Amino acid sequence: MKNKFLFIVLTVISIGNIYSQSSINPDISLIGTFNTYTNFIKGSPGYGKLNFDIPEMELFVDGYLNPYARASANISYENNEFGVEELYGDIVRGLPLDIQIKAGKFLVGFGKLNTVHPHAWPFLERPLFHQVFFGEGGFNDVGVNFSFIIPTGDVFTNLDLGVFKGASIIPMSDSYAIDRGVNPIFVGRLGTFWSLDDYTNLEVGLSGSYGCYSKANLVVFGIFNQENVQALNHFYSGLDFKFKYSPTAYSVLTIQGEGLLNNRDVPRIPVMGIDYTLASVQKINNAGAFIYADYKFEKQFSFGIKYDYTAGIFGSAPTFLSLANDDKNSTQGIEAWFSYYPVEETSVVRLGIQNLMYHYADGTNRNNETTIKLQFLFSLGPHKAHPF
Amino acid sequence: MKKIFFALLLISASLSFANIKVVASTTVIYDLVKEIGKDKVSVDFIARGDQDPHFVEVLPSYMVKLRNADIFFRIGMGLEMWSNQLIDGSRNSHLKTIDLATDIDKKEVPNFKPDASYGDVHPFGNPHYWLDPQNAKIMAKEIYEALSAESNQDEAYFKKNLDDFNYRIDKKINEWTNKMSSLKGKSFIFFHASWIYFADRFGIKTAGFVEPKPGIAPSPSHNAELVGIIKSKGIKTILMENFYSDSAPNQLSQLTGIKVVKVPTAVFGMKNINSYIEMMDNIINQIIQNS
Repeated sequence: MKNKFLFIVLTVISIGNIYSQSSINPDISLIGTFNTYTNFIKGSPGYGKLNFDIPEMELFVDGYLNPYARASANISYENNEFGVEELYGDIVRGLPLDIQIKAGKFLVGFGKLNTVHPHAWPFLERPLFHQVFFGEGGFNDVGVNFSFIIPTGDVFTNLDLGVFKGASIIPMSDSYAIDRGVNPIFVGRLGTFWSLDDYTNLEVGLSGSYGCYSKANLVVFGIFNQENVQALNHFYSGLDFKFKYSPTAYSVLTIQGEGLLNNRDVPRIPVMGIDYTLASVQKINNAGAFIYADYKFEKQFSFGIKYDYTAGIFGSAPTFLSLANDDKNSTQGIEAWFSYYPVEETSVVRLGIQNLMYHYADGTNRNNETTIKLQFLFSLGPHKAHPF
Repeated sequence: MKKIFFALLLISASLSFANIKVVASTTVIYDLVKEIGKDKVSVDFIARGDQDPHFVEVLPSYMVKLRNADIFFRIGMGLEMWSNQLIDGSRNSHLKTIDLATDIDKKEVPNFKPDASYGDVHPFGNPHYWLDPQNAKIMAKEIYEALSAESNQDEAYFKKNLDDFNYRIDKKINEWTNKMSSLKGKSFIFFHASWIYFADRFGIKTAGFVEPKPGIAPSPSHNAELVGIIKSKGIKTILMENFYSDSAPNQLSQLTGIKVVKVPTAVFGMKNINSYIEMMDNIINQIIQNS
């Protein structure tokens, strides 16, 4: 039913665009991504076999509602399903204190990279800690964000404060989890940008997110009675930076990194003989980070490397029980890529390799996993480049 | 003491009222605004002189510039595709954005639905009109009108500056026209499709472009085609903006002996090019010397 509805919406948009080309129509852009890959996982039946992903699509529709506000939608097609990736309105000017307000469903401004659509990344794989702490689609949530410019002279400083439903923070569909009820989360980021000279720019940001990421029916552990259902809170703090050096029109060096510290409540795993009735929820501290460097050395070529670290085991759907251990387990990744832009940035062919290394505190032995991926990506229409 | 303090306060207040804050999208506009506004405006620019104005990264520092501005002048006609993001990011609801193309006689306006198969074709016409010095006069007039509307009491001052600029550029146009008269009717290869206004003004012809289509990187097959054109028509010069890569033109030069002339098409586009007139002087002198 959902797919049918979205199909009708897409058809109406397309027909509207064909038959009423006019300057008041919104901008419509289509991003297509096609991946083919092979895994090298010892003992896996698919070892070394070529796999073809179903092509992915993002349809962007955006434009001005009036001189003060814009609206945007991003409809995605992934894994044979349509979905509303983003849908929001944005008041860009005219409000007191020059506040900008964005409301709807959108990529949340925690860190720098999360708000950039994946098709604009220079690499192929989403950072591991994004996937472990935010989910496969990144930190994408329903809510409202208030953006303030802090008066710091010629230096651009921006403060984002938002309230969100918290859907992206719940990492599990666990039989122990129960409805969070009305428990919004709060997200903020303070970012400062410096132009070091005509060719060198730097942005540094601090982010935070606090709220109830889930509630646990701890009765099933045999520890609590029903009245003691616990709210499990999280506090994420983040540090990010982006450095860009463009000495010529055709060469750009980008170095970008982010780190996240997670302070989270998790149920303590019962151990025989110990009374947990007074201390059934424990706090864990863990972290995730990535850093990459990408060098574009001609108009048509770039290459780069990324290092990833995340607490927890990447790829496994987390449960209350696994979360209780995710300060002990970890995953590391190294990714390298080479990109070729055949004509300009409207299309790119990218070859990448990623190696994942797992570490289990209980000594579980798991082989490294290597994936080689070839990606073809195109961008049709006026979808705008992301700001720095 | 008190009187002196209040007098200084009044003077500084009146000075600040007279000071119109302007941001120009390009350094050519920056120079023209300085010509007309002189000490009654403070002006800054976005795209550097050595930068391709089509592709400017949306930097927050540019938003800060626009945040404090009263007027933003731009070329328009879709040249500065990046500018709306800067305007939105500035959150300046009092900013007046003025496209200087309004009264320009626009060339190469497509009479078909342009799409990417034609390369980077601008749907509103070719926006490189500032390379015709007669159009610089139209731009200057537009700037004069905008500044006068912003500060009525300075209208006469701006008019005097406009007249002075027009007088000087008229003299230079005569000089440039005389210099270029020896090349009238001759054919040139250009790198990018940005020279139509210049070529029409001085009566030179376009034999081809190094880019196979506007904004599309040169290709070996297209270069081979150009070699044939250069040899058959005896073309002596490739004219190109100095921010483009000269590797394809240099290959053509090695194959045919054609001269590659790299010129700034913006103020500050190279050392000692500090005004529009100096920029045009440089372009014309280099063409004359190398053709």
